[in-house]
Amino acid sequence: MSFVVVRALGLVTVQDLGRPGRMHEAVPPGGALVRDRLIAANRAARNPDDAPAIEVLGRLVIRAERALVIATDTTAARAVPAGGELAVASEPRRVAYLAVRGGIASPLVLGGRGALLCAGLGGLVRAGQRFDSAELAEAAATSPPSERPEEPIRLVAGPDPACFAPGALEILTSAAYRILPSSDRVGTRLDGPALPRTAAPEITRPMVIGAIEVPHDGAPIVLGPEHPTTGGYPIIAVVAHTDLGRLFSIRLGGTVRFTR
Amino acid sequence: MADWVPLGDRAIRFARPARSARALVRAVRAWPGVIDVVVARHDVAAYFDDAPPSEAAWRAWPAWIDALATAPDDPAPVRDLALRAIYDGADLGHVAAATGRTADEVCALHAAATYTVETMGFAPGFAYLSGLPAALELPRRTTPRTRVPAGAIAIAGAHTAVYPFDSPGGWHLIGSVVGVQMFGPAGPLLQLGDRVRFVP
Repeated sequence: MSFVVVRALGLVTVQDLGRPGRMHEAVPPGGALVRDRLIAANRAARNPDDAPAIEVLGRLVIRAERALVIATDTTAARAVPAGGELAVASEPRRVAYLAVRGGIASPLVLGGRGALLCAGLGGLVRAGQRFDSAELAEAAATSPPSERPEEPIRLVAGPDPACFAPGALEILTSAAYRILPSSDRVGTRLDGPALPRTAAPEITRPMVIGAIEVPHDGAPIVLGPEHPTTGGYPIIAVVAHTDLGRLFSIRLGGTVRFTR
Repeated sequence: MADWVPLGDRAIRFARPARSARALVRAVRAWPGVIDVVVARHDVAAYFDDAPPSEAAWRAWPAWIDALATAPDDPAPVRDLALRAIYDGADLGHVAAATGRTADEVCALHAAATYTVETMGFAPGFAYLSGLPAALELPRRTTPRTRVPAGAIAIAGAHTAVYPFDSPGGWHLIGSVVGVQMFGPAGPLLQLGDRVRFVP
């Protein structure tokens, strides 16, 4: 074995880049909450971009059982000797990734190696659990994905404007919203001014990652990688694909601003 | 020309053409750049790869959507499945009262029909089965349950379904399937287009 989990607090799972291609079976794509950070950790460890790594929404402590090379999305690769312990915490962000040179060994199930909790695939990483390296060939050195500066998260308006009172989108793009601690990989719940809806009926329709759905109480939810593929709440706007990672990196309790 | 709306910058949504779900999934997945398709009851969504669709592609959708009206059927044969059922659901009495039947009549009606997987959504492997006898159509429960057990057979509106996982749910529970897992490492038991019967 390569390492053993000493402590896992919060939502800690093995993740890769997900299982696209199964949404018609109601299986969402899943994968890393913040893909660019998983890729950054893998590149630092000289792994392929899609190698399985450990996603930490909380805190993780591991102990190496043999000499390992370990990197995270914010720290360069470093050698950890047998018996050495390493702690990874997602603070001050919402999520951190721990990559082991060679990738985490995890079985290929339905086209992916990561946990998809909504489908009962994989599970939470727990203390005492042991992991092996997948012994993937060393990848060429690549710089991490570039980070965009701190600026509002861009939205694509719609597709359900008829379901919202006039001015609802302006509220969403002018107020600050707080990321609620009840957020998970299914949805990121926002606290802020309610978005008023009309009496338009609810229709079960296709959903997408980044969709901002609005239940009756007007409190928006941004769909994450484990979102239901269909849902009945109307969508006021969808987060621009390239801004999803920035939004999902904001720590619980932090604030977000949106722009069109 | 067909209408569509952007669903963010990597997907579009349009009204469901009058074709089988299997034919639609097969045809839309053949579009360049498409990695995923969701066929809902009234709408279809096409999801594109990481690269955003080109300007030319955005202009091409209406013609492509129009062409779906004559999309060929999936040549793979439709599967017939029989699911063993026990009609012991917590809402059986309520359904009987609301439909003016006895519980035995409700079970007999439900088990006599042949259903088709019309759409999938809500949870991995959750199949919306059409073909529910009109006599059993009821609105959803006013208060959803916070937990419905995996394997529960439920009805709501014009559909019946089997919950693949323990989950919240607003449908009326009339029974449970026996000896099968609705979703596992091999994927969902039910697929779009399947014909399904419940065998008491």
